[in-house]
Amino acid sequence: MLISSNDKITTSQALVILVNYILATGILTLPRTSVEQVKTPDVWISVFLGGLIAMIVGVIIVKLSQQFPEKTFYQYSQDIVGKWMGRVLSLLIIVYFFTISAFEVRTMAEVTGLFLLEGTPTWAIIMPFMWVGLYLIIGGVNPIARLFEIIFPITIVIFLIVTFMSLGIFEIDNVRPVLGLGMLPVLKGIKTATLAFLGPEIMLLIVAFMKKPDKAVKVVLVGLSIPLIFYVITVVMVIGALSIDGVVMKTWPTLELMRSFEIPGLIFERFESFLLVIWIMQIFATFTITFYAASLGLAQLFKKNIHPFMYGLLPIIYIIAMIPKNINDLFKFGDMIGNIALFLFGVLPLMLLLISKLKGRKV
Amino acid sequence: MKLNYYNIRLLLGLLLFLMILLLTGCWSSKEIEDLGLIVGTALDIENDGGSWEEQDGEYSNRDLITITNQFVTSETIGTGAKEGSTQQKAYKNVSETGDAILPTLRNMILKIDKRAFAEHSKVLVIGEDLASTVNMQQLLDFFLRELEIRPSSTILIAKNRASDTLESKETVEIPAFQLVEIIKGYERTTKILPPMTFAKLDGKLHSGSSFLLQNVVSEKGEVKFAGAAVIEGKTKKLIGVLNNKELEGITWITGKGKGGLVKSLDEETDQPIIYEVLSMKSKIIPHVDGDNISFDVNIESEGRIAEHWVLSEKPFNNEFLKRAEKVSEKEVEQLVKNTLDKIQKEYQVDVSGFGNRLRIEYPKVWKKVKKDWDQTFSEVPIKCKVKLTIKDYGTSGY
Repeated sequence: MLISSNDKITTSQALVILVNYILATGILTLPRTSVEQVKTPDVWISVFLGGLIAMIVGVIIVKLSQQFPEKTFYQYSQDIVGKWMGRVLSLLIIVYFFTISAFEVRTMAEVTGLFLLEGTPTWAIIMPFMWVGLYLIIGGVNPIARLFEIIFPITIVIFLIVTFMSLGIFEIDNVRPVLGLGMLPVLKGIKTATLAFLGPEIMLLIVAFMKKPDKAVKVVLVGLSIPLIFYVITVVMVIGALSIDGVVMKTWPTLELMRSFEIPGLIFERFESFLLVIWIMQIFATFTITFYAASLGLAQLFKKNIHPFMYGLLPIIYIIAMIPKNINDLFKFGDMIGNIALFLFGVLPLMLLLISKLKGRKV
Repeated sequence: MKLNYYNIRLLLGLLLFLMILLLTGCWSSKEIEDLGLIVGTALDIENDGGSWEEQDGEYSNRDLITITNQFVTSETIGTGAKEGSTQQKAYKNVSETGDAILPTLRNMILKIDKRAFAEHSKVLVIGEDLASTVNMQQLLDFFLRELEIRPSSTILIAKNRASDTLESKETVEIPAFQLVEIIKGYERTTKILPPMTFAKLDGKLHSGSSFLLQNVVSEKGEVKFAGAAVIEGKTKKLIGVLNNKELEGITWITGKGKGGLVKSLDEETDQPIIYEVLSMKSKIIPHVDGDNISFDVNIESEGRIAEHWVLSEKPFNNEFLKRAEKVSEKEVEQLVKNTLDKIQKEYQVDVSGFGNRLRIEYPKVWKKVKKDWDQTFSEVPIKCKVKLTIKDYGTSGY
């Protein structure tokens, strides 16, 4: 399946796709997972370094994709490492994409089941969510990008307002000292922090859709800086309010932060529902884009129409989403995906880039 | 698919079918009239318990806890607001006894007709006796875990029975709300601690450091804040109380106060001079020399003469201001010294943030001494310097 010329996206659309993909489950759990590793208030430095690493990876991915204009990874991987190897790699990445999509759906169901829709069966939360997602991606990459353009500013505005409202319970002593025990604790947290920035891998496909693919490096750099700022703010505010010892006790620390203060006098006193609203929108964004990436992969691999694959993936994603038995399983599932991603996108693109450079460009 | 006549009819038919689903409305909604809003909770220990448990057909020799929930329902609010029919109170307290929190709460279902709803719970009062026998971490586990209870509600310790603090002579008042309003007074006095919410408490309990909780006394149907309860970090139990003076000392050491008064007696005339705090700053400076740890406390404050009974002097005169500063400084020094004596010698716990400063300034030293900090702290020398500055004296120069 070739990409039709009218299904192209602008540079800013590529940017919002990247940002919306990165911002997902991590924002609710990152303060806890990273503090568990670092154990000092220097977590935000780890997050910062993690973001920088993700930027490097992102740039490598973009450089790779730019070697093959108008082609997605599923198409050009066969040019680099041969037909069969390329197919295997593509298949791996397809599996990765729809697994992530299943993970996002399930996390969304767990959190809404706990905080919003107590008593509603999980399937009843998941199914409408997935159907709406399916409806969106049937339209192709353009409708997805347009929806993301709507979600993006709403997320930024609400997130910043809600987070800074928690300043009332912020205690500067909780985030001090800086580097009190040296760099070692910080380094321990880098892996966890980097995994929160999963997302640049979408550039393997998105570059092919861009009207101006030469701007892709800029997209990656800006697109990772925005989540980087979000994450650093989140981590600092959560630790500042709940302290290192408090954060590790909380299942969803960021939501806990929002529940920890009330501001009387405004129309709303409580703000966790705002955070949940934008968070669910972000989960939806991540879900749809990964769902689309997986279907696109299958369609290009088998050179068939994309629509049957979308319908076909729907039950598979649902089944994978239902595999984790409890919330601990779900967190482990997330860790597993992270580890796979580390290999798949940390090592692989660099190798492929080297190989393609060595071979010289084939036209 | 072309949109011909039949297709449109089909779509409309489907739409009708979908609309049936919406007709059910909010099928799991709860009407507010049917809810019993819990606004406050009190926990007490039961010494002569046992009989209640027999109703359930089981006997336990564990400590029995009485939970008192303060309910506000549509009925109590309705009658409380009406003039004339002041017989009924604006709240309704329901108690139940058991050996764990949630089963006891669920047993309350057996005696109230409303569905208990704790999202608006503001305050938890724990009786002194209970806090000194049961580990706080265990006691509060349910409250920290339960989703319906917000981390923004506050914890208090009651001098006698906690349930008494949720009683009021006034029929229109809701005692739980009163307590919360009194806490807000910490901005204008040094005798009330900043509120300790569940959100902050969780970190304190987990870090293993000792801390203070605001104490509240109930006398003849009136509640009054008085001093603070000392919770030891290791056992997570209450080990003693600080009185109002000592609590003032704590506020001066931490510098967390936003306002308050210092009453001192003029040395020459023996008349009171009242210094009103406008701003308060405190710096705890740790010094580490080998294995020796020591602290300097530098307290700085600006304020005004808010009242003075010394007839012979007037604040227009700078010398008198200096004199007033001196006596007030002495008074604060005395407060701080008394408090340090009490927490270092008698209770041997660090509840005023010395360990926290050490953690920030000397993280590596802190890592070593963290485990037995309360013990170490009790022998640490602490020097204290107070500097008060009187900026003005209100509208009267005499």
